[in-house]
Amino acid sequence: MNLLNRYLQEVSKYLPKARREDIVAELRANILSQIEDREQELGRALTDTELVEMLQHHGNPLMVAGRYGPHNLGLAFGIQLIGPELFPYYRTVLGVIWGISLTVMAVAMPIIARTVGEKVALGRVLLPLAVQFAVTTVIFVLLDRGKGHLLNRWDPGKLPALKTDSEDGPNARRIFNFIATAVGALWLALAPRSPYLLLGPAAISLEAVPMKLMPEWMQFYWAIVALLCFQLGLQFLNLLRLLPRRGAQVADLILKCAGLVIGILLLFKFPNYVTSPYPDVAEWANLSFLICVIVAVAIGLFAVVRLLLRERRAVLPGPRVAHGKS
Amino acid sequence: MNESAFENLKLELRRGCLVLAVLAQLRVEHYGYTLRKALADDGLEIEESTLYPLLRRLETQGLLTSEWREEDKRNKRFYRLSKDGKLVLKQLLEEWQTMGASLGRILWEQKV
Repeated sequence: MNLLNRYLQEVSKYLPKARREDIVAELRANILSQIEDREQELGRALTDTELVEMLQHHGNPLMVAGRYGPHNLGLAFGIQLIGPELFPYYRTVLGVIWGISLTVMAVAMPIIARTVGEKVALGRVLLPLAVQFAVTTVIFVLLDRGKGHLLNRWDPGKLPALKTDSEDGPNARRIFNFIATAVGALWLALAPRSPYLLLGPAAISLEAVPMKLMPEWMQFYWAIVALLCFQLGLQFLNLLRLLPRRGAQVADLILKCAGLVIGILLLFKFPNYVTSPYPDVAEWANLSFLICVIVAVAIGLFAVVRLLLRERRAVLPGPRVAHGKS
Repeated sequence: MNESAFENLKLELRRGCLVLAVLAQLRVEHYGYTLRKALADDGLEIEESTLYPLLRRLETQGLLTSEWREEDKRNKRFYRLSKDGKLVLKQLLEEWQTMGASLGRILWEQKV
């Protein structure tokens, strides 16, 4: 049954999280019944090759999961361009691309409008969105054309191995997280003294165009460094497995919430980050900082929501089972 | 080209019929696998990756009800027609019969 578990693990990767457990339980019950039926027919257990054939016939995990999408929709202009198997992925990819673009454009639009006028600015904003729509759609239409060929050419024997410790994550990941956080903390602590770390070879331009961080920004800066140090400590304890899993999850959630609060304060309470005798330079540098802070807040918000949803799922009951009858 | 047009039209024709067949079959309770077998026994083959998500959608639309229950030492999700589902099935069958009769007349007239 190892192969079946690997197959279901692969299907579950692409399923909507809220219904993942329920759908996988139902698929497992149905496939096991099918296996039992076939074994009864043959009067012996299925061979590995027969099981591979059965799963192959059941369908590519990506396609099977795609059909459980929230809506069985597709994209059609007279003929179907993107079928229901790929449409949920198309919608997600386009949503992410447009989401990022709109966030960046919302910030950049007032500045562009000031220099070239509102009508031209609107055109410059809408054109990239239209191009992104066209390119994404063409890619997915081509994928849809070849999907029968591509999706049928999968090999159940090559499915990834079962994750035995998926909640804790493998040790390699803990080590990587620890090293990455340590390097990040060190980089952030040294960056104000060595602008080269921040700007690379362009740091030399600071001599010609002086630019400094606003003094008020430093309190946020040290708060971020402190937060990274806490995170480093947490990851060190995690690396040595000194923290219970639940405790590590809660501590991680608290640290991410604290990071999000700092990001939101930076965004709304303190819009000027850089000062320079050249107003244009200061304006563009502040805009660059603002975009970085927006991206950081968006990532932080995503991480916190993801952790909260995971907490919520952890306390929700599994599929209800009634006993008796049949 | 004709082959692909035929395949598309066949798909469209089959899609509506499958819903009708699934609703009709679920006047008696089934779980996914036995429902698929029952449909196949009556000559209507349907792929697992089509049938199981279809059951979920019909349940979301309120036409089916489902219940997890243990049978043969295994938990299975059993589906049956809901009250609304019975009404919709009755209406769909009437529609089906009307269309069938019309189609029959059209084909008969052409033959004559």
